[in-house]
Amino acid sequence: MSPAEQAALQERITLAKSGNAEAWGELYHQHAPAIFRFCRRVMPTREDAEDATMDIFIKVRQKLSQYDSTRPFSAWLYTVAGNHCWDLLRRRKLRQDLETGEVETMPLEHPDPGQLEQLIERRSGQEVRRALDKLPARSRMALVLRYYSDMSYDDIATTLGVRRTFVGVVLLRARHQLREILEGQGGASLAAGGAA
Amino acid sequence: MIHFDEMACLLYLDGQLDPARSREMDAHLTECSSCRDLLHALQHETSLLSSALTQDNESMPAHLLSTRGRAVPSWIWTLAFGAFAASAYWFWTDGIGPWLDRLSNAGFGGADVFSMIVFSGAFWEGWSDMIDAMQIGALILVVLLAIGWIRRRLRRPVAIAVVLPLMLLALALPPRAGAAEVRRGKSISVSAGETIHNDLVASGASVRIEGTVEGDVIAFSKNLTVTGHVTGDVISFSEEAVIDGTVDGNVRVFSRGVNLQGAIGKNVTAFGSSVDLGSKANIGGGMIVFAAETDLDGKIQRDLLGMVGRTDIGGLIGGQAWIRGGNLTIASTAEIRGPATFEGPQPPEVESGAKLASPIRTEITQETRRTRRTAARSAIHAVFAYGAALLVGILLLVSFPGFFRAALRETGAIGLPIGVGAVALITGGFLLIVGVLLLFIGVGAGVAGALAYAPVVYVAQVFVGAWLGNRIMGEAPSVTSAVIGRMALGLLILRIAGLVPVLGGLVWIAVLLWGTGGVLLGFYRLSRLESAPLPA
Repeated sequence: MSPAEQAALQERITLAKSGNAEAWGELYHQHAPAIFRFCRRVMPTREDAEDATMDIFIKVRQKLSQYDSTRPFSAWLYTVAGNHCWDLLRRRKLRQDLETGEVETMPLEHPDPGQLEQLIERRSGQEVRRALDKLPARSRMALVLRYYSDMSYDDIATTLGVRRTFVGVVLLRARHQLREILEGQGGASLAAGGAA
Repeated sequence: MIHFDEMACLLYLDGQLDPARSREMDAHLTECSSCRDLLHALQHETSLLSSALTQDNESMPAHLLSTRGRAVPSWIWTLAFGAFAASAYWFWTDGIGPWLDRLSNAGFGGADVFSMIVFSGAFWEGWSDMIDAMQIGALILVVLLAIGWIRRRLRRPVAIAVVLPLMLLALALPPRAGAAEVRRGKSISVSAGETIHNDLVASGASVRIEGTVEGDVIAFSKNLTVTGHVTGDVISFSEEAVIDGTVDGNVRVFSRGVNLQGAIGKNVTAFGSSVDLGSKANIGGGMIVFAAETDLDGKIQRDLLGMVGRTDIGGLIGGQAWIRGGNLTIASTAEIRGPATFEGPQPPEVESGAKLASPIRTEITQETRRTRRTAARSAIHAVFAYGAALLVGILLLVSFPGFFRAALRETGAIGLPIGVGAVALITGGFLLIVGVLLLFIGVGAGVAGALAYAPVVYVAQVFVGAWLGNRIMGEAPSVTSAVIGRMALGLLILRIAGLVPVLGGLVWIAVLLWGTGGVLLGFYRLSRLESAPLPA
């Protein structure tokens, strides 16, 4: 984002904070599509994503006064969105695949890079998205927070309610699960890992 | 050579390794191709993930993009208001209005039922304590302050909707609360010669009042017997109630058997299987009876209003009489000084010698008497009721989509919402009665509570209807019109099912319990959501 755009955004936020409906409308139009896509990636259905998007922006509007302008706005927005969606998922009866407990450590492995490359090479974005949909909620959430929202490990830890040191484990575990699913669709066996 | 493991590689890529370890990795990578390859493969995986997540984005639905997304088109409001107004008018003119006339004829004078219940103190004279302009002013102020406070704390209307009625209930605590003497036990008796200078609240298997109570008596018991003197009202829930003494105020009895033998200064309201007014009994005011059978041999100085299966009148009615029921017999000893009306399937039997001010106006009620006009009226009424329910559903869906879906989701669980609905309605009804009559809370709060309950019960059908529609046509996609279509179908089916005799009634009871549970659970889930931690 250019400095001019950044300045315009900050001005919009300031106006919206003071109750300017037009500025809020612009802010909404600018960011709602990305938040909707975020919700679409983490929530099980499109309907859930729509509901979540609406609710997130209600919260954002209420919490706007608490936004610290030294922080990127979109990062803050994703934090609100991540918290909201994770909270929704936790409250749903999806507990069986949420793995809300503390993460166990991962075995220290060194998989065969060639095999991993081979698995990735042949996969299209669509196949990966389909595989992502099959992941347990926490794994999916972690990957989306990291690789869609570009969220820091600290923020991911806060959102998912795990210790900071376990974020890497959650992410790597999610990658393994993803590989397992992709592999089930016809790839080489990598999930078990290579030589340690 | 010892390789770095996959976790270390990932943390390295994400810049999460501590500096020392990171330097170690840098050095290792210059000489280890396997780790370099793994790093490269992980990087490749990262970019595959990123591009998969960011490309092929679904477009955002138009209704979310519209800034008016949550606004309700004004025509819906207008239409809804019109439908409500029409339904309310209908309800009033067809239902409440005639009853009010009859009530006021029956000695419950006053302009309307509200003033009768609340202001005339017919139910509870203690209410007059509340009817003090300053108190009401203070109450309004407190409520306004409370609303302000709630709005700051809980910004969502849903939370306000839950909290406000509770606060109103709490605020309406009358100053008299706790003033009454409370007695519990197997057998409670106020013996002859004993005087209680206070209201008496008694609960036990048997309650006997042989002495004097200078106040009201509120009794929950198997048997209630009053042979002494009560200067206030007698309010009783019991299996058998016998009043053989003197009650200066009103008598309100909900009992299987009611036997009135004594002198009652004001009015009598009796709900029971059998209600007897003995020949020595004298009621200074009017009498309202809902019973399977009643024998009225005593004196009623003012009007009589009854919905009774079998009525025998052998005593005096000083005012008008209006009776609806199976059959009416007027004995030779009877005297009715005002005009009398009977609505029933057959004409009343009037024995010779009975003194009537005028011949009894009789309306024979038979199903076949339903004219085409009334059939048309009820058909229009049904269409109105259907339309009003549908409009309420649409308003809910458009105004509070989150709540609508939450409640619908909860309704879908079937068993839990039915259970919650049953508990809520039963305890709610019980609390309402106890609240109103025990007056720990007060009539005003009782009325407020009922008003708060009514919308929940009303919208119950919306969610059951929507659920039914979803079942028949399949889960609705996100498009609002599709949800409305399913709701319309479901509600229509419920309305039609409701027309079936007997079964229809059962269907409506189930719908009320089920939908109320769904709505309450929906509220609950949303309020839980409200308390979720938010980012600072």
